[in-house]
Amino acid sequence: MLKISDLHASYGGSLILQGIDLSIKQGGITAIMGRNGMGKTTLMKTIVGLLSPKSGRIELADESIGGLKPHKIAAKGIGYVPQGREIFSDFTVFENLKLATLRYPRKQRHIPDRIFEYFPILGKRKNQRAGSFSGGEQQMLAMARALVTNPKLLLLDEPSEGIQPSIVQEIARILLDINAKTGITIVVVEQNVDMVFDLADTCAFLEKGRIVETCPVDDLREDESMITRYMAV
Amino acid sequence: MTDLIIQILNSMNFVLVLIMVAMGLMIIFGLMNVINMAHGEFFLLGAYTVVMTNRLGLGFWPALVLAPLVVGLIGMLIEYLCIRHLYQRPLDTILATWGVSLAIKQLIIIFFGPAGLTVAPPLPAMVSVAGVEYPAYRLFIMAISLAIIAFTFYVFLRTDFGLGARAVIANRNMAATLGINTRRMYRTTFTFGAALAGLAGAVMAPIMSCDPQMGLGFFIPAFLSILVGGTGTLYGVLVGGTIVGGGDSLFSYHYSPVVAQVVIFSLAIILIRIRPQGLLGGKNHE
Amino acid sequence: MNNTLSAIRSTTRYSRSSWIAAGLLTLFLLFPMTKNDYWVVQLTQLMVYGIFAMSLSLVWGYGGILCFGHAVYFGMGAYIYTLIVKGMVPGFTGILATSIVGLMAAIIGVALFAIVVGYFLFYGRLSGPYLGIVTLAIAVIVERIAVDWYYIGGYNGLFSIPPLSVAGYEFTDPLALFYVVLALAVIVYLLLMHVVNSPFGTILRAIRDNEPRAESFGYNSAQHKIITFAIGAAVAALSGALFAIVTEFVSPTLIGFGLSTEVLIWVALGGKEVILASFLGALLVRTLETYLSELMAYYWILFLGIFFVAAVIYFPKGVFGRLLSGRR
Repeated sequence: MLKISDLHASYGGSLILQGIDLSIKQGGITAIMGRNGMGKTTLMKTIVGLLSPKSGRIELADESIGGLKPHKIAAKGIGYVPQGREIFSDFTVFENLKLATLRYPRKQRHIPDRIFEYFPILGKRKNQRAGSFSGGEQQMLAMARALVTNPKLLLLDEPSEGIQPSIVQEIARILLDINAKTGITIVVVEQNVDMVFDLADTCAFLEKGRIVETCPVDDLREDESMITRYMAV
Repeated sequence: MTDLIIQILNSMNFVLVLIMVAMGLMIIFGLMNVINMAHGEFFLLGAYTVVMTNRLGLGFWPALVLAPLVVGLIGMLIEYLCIRHLYQRPLDTILATWGVSLAIKQLIIIFFGPAGLTVAPPLPAMVSVAGVEYPAYRLFIMAISLAIIAFTFYVFLRTDFGLGARAVIANRNMAATLGINTRRMYRTTFTFGAALAGLAGAVMAPIMSCDPQMGLGFFIPAFLSILVGGTGTLYGVLVGGTIVGGGDSLFSYHYSPVVAQVVIFSLAIILIRIRPQGLLGGKNHE
Repeated sequence: MNNTLSAIRSTTRYSRSSWIAAGLLTLFLLFPMTKNDYWVVQLTQLMVYGIFAMSLSLVWGYGGILCFGHAVYFGMGAYIYTLIVKGMVPGFTGILATSIVGLMAAIIGVALFAIVVGYFLFYGRLSGPYLGIVTLAIAVIVERIAVDWYYIGGYNGLFSIPPLSVAGYEFTDPLALFYVVLALAVIVYLLLMHVVNSPFGTILRAIRDNEPRAESFGYNSAQHKIITFAIGAAVAALSGALFAIVTEFVSPTLIGFGLSTEVLIWVALGGKEVILASFLGALLVRTLETYLSELMAYYWILFLGIFFVAAVIYFPKGVFGRLLSGRR
């Protein structure tokens, strides 16, 4: 589904990604883990086109997307939930969701019912200002916004950050549910080990701008030494 | 009493046109982070469209449609030829648009000469307002300005295009990853802003002397209006335009235009010393 | 690491610029040997504009302060000098109505004015485009005041300014004036080079490149900008006063929008980040203007405007800037 080879990218003048090789299979849920400053967010931003790769390839469903403008990449079928969620806090829930549909012709700009089935709370509060939501609710809104256009691939950057544990579990449950129902491929950058165990089937470790290890999450459950090695500060 | 009513009507006249000009300037700034120094010259081009239609014997009214079209197209062309190349260097856009303003002014001098030109009033009739005889055309200016201001508010606050534009203003990158083509939005916005200034120039042409420097006389107060009102919301322009335009009319009438300029400008500078974000607040920079 | 690099860079710029400056100075010193009186006078005037351009280079190129109203300082300098030497300032008579007092008053008065303006602008946190347009508004207003103020000559300005006179010696000979202006140009150049290469200049560039970071190191950016603004204004005032001396008349066109526009173009085309490049920019554009404005009439400004836009887009460092900065 997503194939990245020898990807280099820099951010703020320094080379952060130094040869990423990563292959994500269709329908799976992959967690990308690593310490802070290893390039996880830079990788996400490069995939969605906010940063241009210096070299290397990014392919989505065998089509090269590296270096395209963000709106073109979005149209190829990538939904993105950035770190810190970045919802439009002055807009209502409905307006936040509507934004994702603006790239379609006027008649196709509707928000599918399944979005409100996944996130019932959003359906109840359609006209409320998004800024008045709690962190967890904002996270759900950001996810819903990324899913409105039915993408092939959903990228989430630290979805559990700053959110209370019970909501984190609920978010993981919702994502698993969506994955099971639609077969959407999910890539999640996450530091919360519990969430990775709850959610992912594969885990990739990022260190110094490279993917240094990839393994099934089940292996991690049996032997947590890898987590200590790549995550301990 | 009669004088006072006329004075108030004249102020309203100026304020409404000023708001129309300032709105274009602000929308362009809000979306693109570009201060369009050629905005006054878009006004100028609108006014000279009227001069042109008059010379061609078409009279005033066709210019009302032609001015926004022509000036909008010119704006689009300028965005394509120069501003597009400078989105990574916002401070340089101010220089580039300024060079554009020099060139436009000079083109006008080449084609129409440096002297002031007057245009025949399209509606010479007088109308009685609150017991005062007032030129019908000035009332027409107020009506059309109000309509255009309302239309702009509608577009930006109620339509899908406006939703996208406000999203770009609030968070450019997020809007882009949601599939909004920010570059196309910039071009549309610039064209729209130019058209607004062009229309403003056209409606003002019959009551001003059209000369190549007239744009600056609107650009500076328009800019001060934004400064005073704040760049955070469109409502800021209404407040800023009313204060700057109203104050300018008031002081011009009671003292002189120079005194008015000095007073308004000094007040604006003192205000931003106290409230750098303007009265209604600035825009959140990413 | 970055600091070392930029230090090395600025020394290279300094040395290459210095060689060219020295060469240029030699040419200027020798020029009167050609006995071309017309060009001696022309060059004197060009150097006055060059000094003016150098002052903007400091403010804009090094201080990062985009100033659309720099002619305000030039014009004020010219007017203050003129009013003093013509004995038109109440209280300034006799010994107080001499050229030296006029020059001092112009420089100090304008510097103080710049400090007041700077206080409002920089503590008001105006920056970038905002600053540019506020300074533009100042220029437009000051020009209108000059036009409307009959005591200082109104629209027509002031004529028959007495020649520069120092300790009883009158500089009526164009050649003497040429050397005076040349000497002042050299002094200004050395002064500005000293400022930009001093620790103050380094801090200034740090503020220009990244204001929040510079402030996080504890530098007061507003204060640095005000000082820069004042130095630039003082130099501009000196050039304005020199203009009054050389041309023997002042008018509102010196103080407003038009000349502010021109100086910005000279400096942008020459290269705002190199003092000498700005000086040369003024010389180049003014010389071209002398010839081309006759040849092309109205089309000259059109051409200049378009060329300016192209320069901003394609060579933001200016024509001479890249050449003189020691980098390819």
